[in-house]
Amino acid sequence: MTLDNQTIKIGRIGRGVIGSVLSGRLAWTIVSFLSLLALWALVAAILQSRLFPGPLDVGAKFVSEAASGELAHHVGITLARVAAAFFVAMFIGTAFGIALGVAKGADQFFDTWLIFFLNLPALVTIILCYVWFGLTETAAVLAVIINKIPNVTVTVREGARSLSRDLTEMAQIYQFGTLKTLRHVTLPQLAPFIAAAARGGLSLVWKIVLVVELLGRPNGVGRQLYDGFQLFDVSMILAYAIAFILVVQFIEIAVLQPIEARVNRWRR
Amino acid sequence: MNEKQSAIRVTVDSKAFPAVADRPEQLVLRGVELEVQEGSFVVLTGPSGCGKSTLLNIVAGLDPDFQGTVEFGEDDAKLSFMFQTPRLLPWRTVEQNIRLVLDDEVAEADGKVAAILNRVGLSEAATAFPERLSLGMQRRAALARAFVVEPDILLMDEPFVSLDDPSADSLRALLIELWNRRPTTVLFVTHDRIEAVMLATRLVRLGGTPASIVQDSEVSLSPPERLDREKVLAWRLRLFENA
Repeated sequence: MTLDNQTIKIGRIGRGVIGSVLSGRLAWTIVSFLSLLALWALVAAILQSRLFPGPLDVGAKFVSEAASGELAHHVGITLARVAAAFFVAMFIGTAFGIALGVAKGADQFFDTWLIFFLNLPALVTIILCYVWFGLTETAAVLAVIINKIPNVTVTVREGARSLSRDLTEMAQIYQFGTLKTLRHVTLPQLAPFIAAAARGGLSLVWKIVLVVELLGRPNGVGRQLYDGFQLFDVSMILAYAIAFILVVQFIEIAVLQPIEARVNRWRR
Repeated sequence: MNEKQSAIRVTVDSKAFPAVADRPEQLVLRGVELEVQEGSFVVLTGPSGCGKSTLLNIVAGLDPDFQGTVEFGEDDAKLSFMFQTPRLLPWRTVEQNIRLVLDDEVAEADGKVAAILNRVGLSEAATAFPERLSLGMQRRAALARAFVVEPDILLMDEPFVSLDDPSADSLRALLIELWNRRPTTVLFVTHDRIEAVMLATRLVRLGGTPASIVQDSEVSLSPPERLDREKVLAWRLRLFENA
């Protein structure tokens, strides 16, 4: 019953946020978007080149790819890889972050490792994963996860270092136990840090996923971009790029912002 | 009725705060022996910074770094602690904050949470987040949380400081009401002498550096007398004449 109530509340708050964003910024967003489109059309009209198609050509390509089902197929596969890598990396990265933030000894020991992995170029991880594990799905997703974990860990560690001792003592007195403490005391304090890690994480992950696909997967948006590159089909490259931007924007507005509004609703 | 049992027996041979940076090690408590009878309301008083809170934290098990022992009358004695600040979870509503200290079955089973909220006058604020309430109301919620677990031992660390007089008075009245309804062993720290006399059945004073017990007196006021300002002031003079 409590759960139902909460779900309803999330829905309401979520809509409220989207509503205010829409009414407040909608006009500016439209103006800004249309000017970008106009500028693009203008430059394309002046250049008159097959290598710089205008919005109409790209739009036509977008529609034909969507109609054939190709677009949904490749975007869907890419999204599945993004989701898998994102959730695994967030989970492991958060766990590491909490451990390092709470245990000083562990932090000192693993700091060097963390710096090593933070500065390891994504491309190196991807190549090594493909070399060691073959051109497989597992290798592809693993490469993305390894790239992402250190960023999450560093961000969450920052939050875990400043956990309130007052509240930890309170939880100890009232015998919350590990799970209750984690859920009601620790994680809510880390929420802003986890949100920051998720935000940065999502944009990082989907960019790396495209590279992974380009280098060693037979499908996905990255692969389509590669094909477009081979054929010098710029319309195709832009159509897929725009499809992806739309999807990411949708996730941002429909998923991330409502979650953020919910975890922040207690703030004054 | 048989002899009252001791609910808390604490012996602190010594308690020191370790040296930090430019400050040397600091000895806070030495040779403190305190036995609290079941059902008594013991007020621990003394000058600010003398180690009262430190002693309370030792009893609560929050500070294990000391020489000595803490024993309770029952091995699995249930503790409550009302801190100097309310220490409510700001991201949970008042009701959730209270529900959380109970076992799930107990919290769901009867109207326990609603009843205690009603008793402390927070029914209307049940779904509010703590930081939207006044400090006085947050303290009420903390008091409700301390009582809802039906503790064997209730520890309180200056729970009514930084409130205006009327709010502090009404919270003290509420504490007395809750305590009369469900008597429990209380160890209450304060440096406010009037508050000490109003609440205590026994008053223990710490003093010196390092601190030890310098006074231990019974306070035999009846409940109505505790609300009588004249009586309280008279007792304060008597108890603190050589302080």
